[in-house]
Amino acid sequence: MKKFQFVLAALLLVGMLVSGCGGGEVECTDEWGCAQIAKGQTVKIAYVGPMTGDYSAFGIDMSRGSEIAVQNKPEIKGFKVELLKEDTQGSPEQGAAVANKLAADPQVVAISGHTFSGSTEAAIPIYEKAGIVMVSASATNPPLTKLGSQVFNRVCFTDDMQADFASKYVFNALGKKSVAVMHDGGAYGKGLADMFAEDITKLGGSVVASEAITPGETDYSAPLAAIAAKKPELIYYGGYSAEAAVLVNQLAGAGMAGIPLFGCDGTYGEDYLSLTGKNSEGSYSTNVPIPASDAFTTFRTTYQSQFGDEQGKLSPFSPHSHDSTAVLLAAIDKVAKVQGGTLVIPRKALAAEVRATKGFQGLTGTLTCSSTGECAAPSVVFMVVQDGKWVEGPGQ
Amino acid sequence: MASDAQVPAKRFINLERLVRPALAVLVAAFVLWRLWDVVMVQKAYGGDTWVRFAISGLILGGVYAVIALGYTLVYGILFMINFAHGDVMMLGAFAGYFTLEAFKSTGVLDASLFSGILAVVAAFAVGMGSASLIAVNLERIAYRPLRTAPRLVPLISAIGASLVLQNAAQLMFGAARHTYANPAILDRNAGWQVMISGKPVLVSYTGVLTFVMSILLMVGLYVLVQRTKIGKAMRAVAEDKQAAALMGIDVNRVISSTFVISGALAGAAGVMWGLHMGIIYHYVGFLPGIKAFTAAVLGGIGNIPGAMLGGIALGVMEALGPAVLGLPFQLKDVLAFSILVLVLIFRPTGLLGEVLARKKA
Repeated sequence: MKKFQFVLAALLLVGMLVSGCGGGEVECTDEWGCAQIAKGQTVKIAYVGPMTGDYSAFGIDMSRGSEIAVQNKPEIKGFKVELLKEDTQGSPEQGAAVANKLAADPQVVAISGHTFSGSTEAAIPIYEKAGIVMVSASATNPPLTKLGSQVFNRVCFTDDMQADFASKYVFNALGKKSVAVMHDGGAYGKGLADMFAEDITKLGGSVVASEAITPGETDYSAPLAAIAAKKPELIYYGGYSAEAAVLVNQLAGAGMAGIPLFGCDGTYGEDYLSLTGKNSEGSYSTNVPIPASDAFTTFRTTYQSQFGDEQGKLSPFSPHSHDSTAVLLAAIDKVAKVQGGTLVIPRKALAAEVRATKGFQGLTGTLTCSSTGECAAPSVVFMVVQDGKWVEGPGQ
Repeated sequence: MASDAQVPAKRFINLERLVRPALAVLVAAFVLWRLWDVVMVQKAYGGDTWVRFAISGLILGGVYAVIALGYTLVYGILFMINFAHGDVMMLGAFAGYFTLEAFKSTGVLDASLFSGILAVVAAFAVGMGSASLIAVNLERIAYRPLRTAPRLVPLISAIGASLVLQNAAQLMFGAARHTYANPAILDRNAGWQVMISGKPVLVSYTGVLTFVMSILLMVGLYVLVQRTKIGKAMRAVAEDKQAAALMGIDVNRVISSTFVISGALAGAAGVMWGLHMGIIYHYVGFLPGIKAFTAAVLGGIGNIPGAMLGGIALGVMEALGPAVLGLPFQLKDVLAFSILVLVLIFRPTGLLGEVLARKKA
């Protein structure tokens, strides 16, 4: 920390010398200090995610989303915005290392990231200490916003939001009161199924049976027979398409023809349809849609012409990273002040400004941040299979 | 038993003798208590559900048994575990898949009842044939050069062969899952409705086909090994390779035919798997392979009736065990392997393994 302060002081000194100390003293009353950008310097925003390695598709795609957001707002009060792209390879260790590196750079004012929940979790305490605000586009793990962090926010859907919406949809719109819950035993699937069970019980429904299956198998007739004995009206499944397809194929054989399998975002997609044929008729899943808008059309064209790929091919999250960067830039623009030729950005005020985001028009919808930093537009669409195609489910 | 008198520490012997009976009593008490709780207190499942569990277990057990036969045949002759056996099954399943796809693309799959049956027979023929071919070549390439090497070496070679086959399948057919194109007469959701305690239980055609087919294969293999000339030669090689060679038996030819038979069994199991379960991919042979190996050990490895018994027992235990003991189905593998451990504690040579084990010791 001492070293960091020394570096900060030294850099500030150099910065002031370079700018010729034009305006004299810079006033900063912010508790966490201020980022001071001298004339000729840039306002640095970092996209942090896996740029190389197994998950590089996410990092490459999302950094492009951030890049377009910066192109749309290239300057803040006459100071150029610079987008850094930092590589975590998706790992928590690299995530912490990158966070330390960025925290040591006094020109870095905000982070769009990190991309994965594990890496984000490792980085939050580091940014918290340095007072750097962050907005993640894709860290969906529910507990992240429950750590009491003042700097962490996200613009993505979370698993507990999904469970909450799904339970309400099942209970109110579909009118199914007694359900069975199944999952694949993984952190994602089990977490989702447990939250769904809790939520629907709170609504007054009942969970009549719950079973976990072993992922990777192609015969689940025995657990399905156990479920069938309890006569649920609907089966909620937390997991991925591969197992959900096997389950839905064997529903009729287990005596549960016509009982819908209600999946999640992990079971949405084309391969679910191709593996199940007519058996999946009436199955549900979750989709996180990007609402059609002129801004989104422009975004897609820009993406295509600039990077040569079709938007959405590498990952679904480039609109989210665009929004996370745009939210940050808008907040910086609001709190930044020019004092005698130097751009002063109070860090705590910036974090508070991001958290106070209300009614921001992003590509993913209208973003409003909660007091814990959940900023996602609360939109989710439940899809149902009709005539071999995913269509929007009834009653939403 | 005569050696007991020579051991001086008598107290120690008594303790050791107590361990197994005590364990047996504990296990029996636990099972009875759970059974009482599930059946009498909770009344968790009706008769129809128990029948469903049993059907599911018998079908799965039949497939396990057929795969286990392949393990046990090869072990009986070469004393090695052919870990690539599950992947031979996977390739057999793919061969059957492409046969059915060919029938489907030419439009004859559902043209008539006869063409549907023909397609299934062809799928079995192609599946068994190509799996045999793969198994024979596997032996030529991966095992024969190592026949005189220490026993661990061909085992490692087998694991390598398994990885090669899996990855080759992934490269050739892609990582995506494929759906078996059953003819309409063998629709996976069609079958006989049987009334059990007032509720309909579906006995699917594919399930019956799988079970009947596996019984036929088991009986056929038993007859082949016990009644034919090649079977006699196989038994001779299993008992003593050198003596068999001295009696004028071509040992290499016998070993090759063993792999032909074990490959054909694996191929048939693969096609049954595809027809009944409906979904195959490059990794589909791994789990059944491990389970069938377990079944072979459970029944007594190297023993043909043992593999049949072990396979069916394992399938039924997986389907009925968690329900009987009131455990979540996620624990079915834990349960199956616990039972394996228990069986091996009380009968180290497996359920039916004694005859053969004594011979080989």
